[in-house]
Amino acid sequence: MTDQNQRITEAAAIEQAKQGYEAAFEVLYHLHKRRVYSLCLRMVSNPAQAEDLAQEAFLQLFRKISTFRGESAFSTWLHRMTVNVVLMQLRKKGLPVVSLEETLEADDEAPRKEFGTKDLKLTGSIDRLQLQRAIDKLPPGYRKVFVLHDVEGFEHNEIAEIVGCSIGNSKSQLHKARLKLRDYLKFMRAEKAKTG
Amino acid sequence: MTCSDVERVLPELLDGAPDGAFAADFETHVRSCPACADLVSDLKLIASEARQLAGTEEPAPRVWVRIAAELRAEGLIHDQDLEPESAPARPILVPASSRRRRWSAWWLAPVAAALLAAGSYVVSHSPAPQVAKQQAAPVPATSPAVDTSAASSPSAPLQSSPEPAKKSGKPRDPAWGTTVASAVEPGPSAEDQQFLSAVSTLAPSMRVTYENELQAVNADIRETQAYVNRNPGDEDARQHLMDAYQQKALLYQIALDRIQ
Repeated sequence: MTDQNQRITEAAAIEQAKQGYEAAFEVLYHLHKRRVYSLCLRMVSNPAQAEDLAQEAFLQLFRKISTFRGESAFSTWLHRMTVNVVLMQLRKKGLPVVSLEETLEADDEAPRKEFGTKDLKLTGSIDRLQLQRAIDKLPPGYRKVFVLHDVEGFEHNEIAEIVGCSIGNSKSQLHKARLKLRDYLKFMRAEKAKTG
Repeated sequence: MTCSDVERVLPELLDGAPDGAFAADFETHVRSCPACADLVSDLKLIASEARQLAGTEEPAPRVWVRIAAELRAEGLIHDQDLEPESAPARPILVPASSRRRRWSAWWLAPVAAALLAAGSYVVSHSPAPQVAKQQAAPVPATSPAVDTSAASSPSAPLQSSPEPAKKSGKPRDPAWGTTVASAVEPGPSAEDQQFLSAVSTLAPSMRVTYENELQAVNADIRETQAYVNRNPGDEDARQHLMDAYQQKALLYQIALDRIQ
C-alpha cells in the first residue's frame, strides 16, 4: 500500500513539476535524494563533490522533466542520468578515473592472500562502515564497476554501455574488485584483532 | 576442475548462468574444497552486503536549497500553491496561519540544539556504553540505553551466526556481531512522538514523510553508535555519528523553519 501511495504521489508530483510547482520538485527530490547522492558518493568518495554531482543530476532531470513520458520508471531515468552526470564530470575534471583497460594493465595481478590464510572466510558478517571504507580504497576503475553492479544493481551489459567497455571486461573488473575488497576486509579485521 | 579453474570461471559463474555441465563441475569442486567454498561464500556475501549500501547516504539540506535557487533563477519553478486535490504529499509544512498553531512548535528549536549538543558530547568523549547510555538519555530515540537491540534497522549487517565474544576483558566491548538483523524496530522517543504530533496537527499529509525520515536517521544513529561503542578510537566513525546527529537536528530545524 505504501508503495502504491508513493507511486501515486510521484506520478502526481511529476505532473505538477511539469507545470512548475516548486513543491512538486521538492517532493521528487526528497523521494530520490538518498539514492542519487549515495551513488555519487560511492563513485567519487568525496562528500563535497558528491553534493555537487547530485545537485547537477537533479538539475538536469528537472530541466528535462517536461519530456518525461512515463514509458519507463522515473527512478530508472534518474538513476541513469546520475551515472552519466558522474562519469561526465569525472572525465571533464580529469579526475583519476582510470580506464578499465589501464586498470587491467596496471593492476593485473592476483590479489595477495596474506591475510586469512588459515581463516579464509569472512564468517558471515561484514560491518557496513568497514565495507564503505574498503570500497573507498578500491582503485577507481574497480570501484566504478563494483558500485554500478553490486551497489546500484546495473547489469553488465548496461555497465558496458555506460562506461564504454566490453561485458567481459566489466565482469573481470567486478571480480577483481570483490577479491580486493575481501582482502581489505580481512586486513581490517586482522588489524582490529591486533588492537583488540 | 581445479582451484585455478574455479578462480578463472568465477567471474562468469557468480552472477550468471553458464551451461549446465560447466556449472556442475564447479559445484562439485566447491563442495569438496573448503578454500574455494569459503572464497565463493565470501564473494557472494560482499555482493549481497554491498546492495545494502544503495541509497543510505543523506545529502545535506543545502543541496536542495541550491537546486531550488537554480531552478528559480532559470524560471522553471514558481511558488504558487498546488491544487489541493492533485497535490502530492509535500515534504514541506504549510506555514501556520494562527498564533495558536505557531506557538506549539516552539520547543523544536531547543530540541534541535540539544540534539547537536548531545551529539557533540557523545562524539568528543569517546563513549563507553555506560557513559553513552547516561549521556544519550536526553537525546530522543537514539539512546543505546533504550535500544535493546543495537542494530534493529533493516540495514544492519547480516549475520549467520555470532562470533565468539572478544576476550578483551573490557566491559564496554560487546561481542562482535551480536547485532540481530531481524530485531523489531524500537518505537520513537517521547520527543520524536511530540515532533510527529506537531507535524500531524500542522500538516497531516507530511506525517508519513517525516516519520520515515526520522526512522532512517535514528537507525543510522543507532548503528553508528553501536559501532563507536565497539571501536571507541575510530575517529571517522565518531565523525559519522556526529553527522548523523546533525542530520536529525536539521530535520527538526527544517520543520521549525517551515512552521514559523
